[in-house]
Amino acid sequence: MNSTQYVLEVDNLAVEFDTYGGVVQAVRDVSFKLRKGKTLAIVGESGCGKSVTVQSLMGLIPMPPGRITRGSARLGGDELLHIAPAALNAIRGKRIGMIFQDPMSALNPTMSIGAQIAETLVVHRGMTASAARTEVLELLHLTQIPEPEQRLNQYPFECSGGMLQRAMIAMSIACKPEVLIADEPTTALDVTIQAQILLLLKQLQQSHGLSIILITHDLGVVAHMAHDVAVMYAGQVVESAPVDDLFYRPAHPYTLGLRAALPGNDPQKQRLQIIPGSPPDLFAPPPACAFADRCPHTMRLCRSAAPATYTRPPPPASQASTNSAHEARCWLHHPQAPSSPVRSSAAT
Amino acid sequence: MAMLRYLLKRLGVGLFTIWFIATATFTVMHLVPGNPLANERGTNATIRANLERQYGLDKPVFEQYLIYMSNMLHGDFGIAFSEENRSVNDIIREHFPVSATLGVLSLCFATVGGVLWGALAALYRNRLPDALIMFLVILGISVPSFVFAAFSQLFILKLNQWSGRSILPVAGWEGVSSMLMPALVLGLSTMAYMTRLMRSSMLDVANTDYLRTARAKGLSPTRIFFRHQLRNAILPVITVLGPAIAIITTGGFVVESVFAIPGLGRYFVQAVAQLDYTVIMGTTVFFGAFLVLMVIAVDILYGFIDPRIRLGAV
Repeated sequence: MNSTQYVLEVDNLAVEFDTYGGVVQAVRDVSFKLRKGKTLAIVGESGCGKSVTVQSLMGLIPMPPGRITRGSARLGGDELLHIAPAALNAIRGKRIGMIFQDPMSALNPTMSIGAQIAETLVVHRGMTASAARTEVLELLHLTQIPEPEQRLNQYPFECSGGMLQRAMIAMSIACKPEVLIADEPTTALDVTIQAQILLLLKQLQQSHGLSIILITHDLGVVAHMAHDVAVMYAGQVVESAPVDDLFYRPAHPYTLGLRAALPGNDPQKQRLQIIPGSPPDLFAPPPACAFADRCPHTMRLCRSAAPATYTRPPPPASQASTNSAHEARCWLHHPQAPSSPVRSSAAT
Repeated sequence: MAMLRYLLKRLGVGLFTIWFIATATFTVMHLVPGNPLANERGTNATIRANLERQYGLDKPVFEQYLIYMSNMLHGDFGIAFSEENRSVNDIIREHFPVSATLGVLSLCFATVGGVLWGALAALYRNRLPDALIMFLVILGISVPSFVFAAFSQLFILKLNQWSGRSILPVAGWEGVSSMLMPALVLGLSTMAYMTRLMRSSMLDVANTDYLRTARAKGLSPTRIFFRHQLRNAILPVITVLGPAIAIITTGGFVVESVFAIPGLGRYFVQAVAQLDYTVIMGTTVFFGAFLVLMVIAVDILYGFIDPRIRLGAV
């Protein structure tokens, strides 16, 4: 696979935070690749490090107490980590756009929506405020916000959450970025608005060739939006796969557990299935597999050695050359491991 | 339109407040035993009775109240008892501008200083400049203004002696140079309070989602500071401008007397000691009205900075 297909590559990223209780290893060795024009979903439960991962790419984690201890991230060949503030500011907002969870609080309450969107154009494209105005109007039209002319001079408190998220999207794509990072963009919105926003992101991806990193904990959103998926657990990517492979042939017991926990359509099934236990303490993460304590297939090896990353062979019917690799960080894929549901090659 | 209605409502409430101040002052004043003529020695009962009739003090208190209120509505605060042939209006006209200049100047000092020092402390959070500023803030809040006034006079004196010429006058009220030190001293505690408020407000705003958005947009730190952080952080400071005006106005009496400034404060205090009915009423009601107006002005200013207030969301 040609490396120019990737617009963003992250290798072995590790992020720590100093707290009163000690050092939290929020992100421990995260690697992923974002394919051009595709959507990579990063999923995982609260506190697994998915937000910290993307925020450290954007230089948004407060340092101190935060610290990037290891790793590299390249946007089209340009390093993102440990670069000068001015160089970073030339990238964020221009080549990488970002939208956040709660649009109500993510916009400046004392600045009109139009001015906030225009600011990106003024700073990155050297536009005058009046020239930016027509462009902003176009952007607002593009996001299908109702009555865009009116929105220009309105303040965030005058708009609904859905409208504000559209305004945020307009702001983040104003400079036609290569990558759009959406950090749980629909969590704070109600379900119908959520569907509209996701549809909008999909349309923008097609019209603008956007590459999107979508952070979510909603597997329904993943199935709807993603081309590739990275599943995070306790600060690590435990499985990454094309979306179909992830859902039909999960290769990590955690993914299997997540999928089993989804509410189904079966009326006979009364109770939701759960993954027993809780994620490990990231002050002192387990030296070997972080999921070992909750895994139904734990072996002795899982508690003594950190699992290697195994690449699964693609299913015979798929077009292997166009898809991303299917990788899992789990000892169950060792050739000598006993057979388990995560190794069966048939779709489960 | 909503703004106009809001303003009219505020003015109505303000008028009621002024009426209440006048009535309460009148009541309390008349509850104090004696009257402005009671101290006159060497006047016999007949002379005093004549004088009281002349001034209307022989009438029932409620009638006096009605007469006073009606005069006040016509803008007439009456004749001072303790001065030679001077109306209270004249006293206010002559001395209030001095007090107002002092007050406005010290309010400017306090606000500009408070915002500046507070922002600086927040910028250098938990480092040496922050610690230094916060130490001075504690000093400014806890040391009373007359102590600062005395020390500042000593400082000016030593400065003049050391330089061999008069850089700043030690006291008095002539020219801008004589206003600087009193205004600074008067505004000091308010400045300290505002510094603390501004610092915490800056830090609050620094942790907001919209500041993170501003960083994610790739804005320069200067732009983020001025266009996003400062404007939002200044809002709580503006809310305390109203009370600050009250503190500075009343605090002015002390500073005026230490620096021998011919402001209204002297009359305000002297009049109470001498039970000079008309001067007490005149100065109190006038200061009250001034405060009410200033608080309304602050509200309007707040609306200019915060669109949520201006456009009636809250």
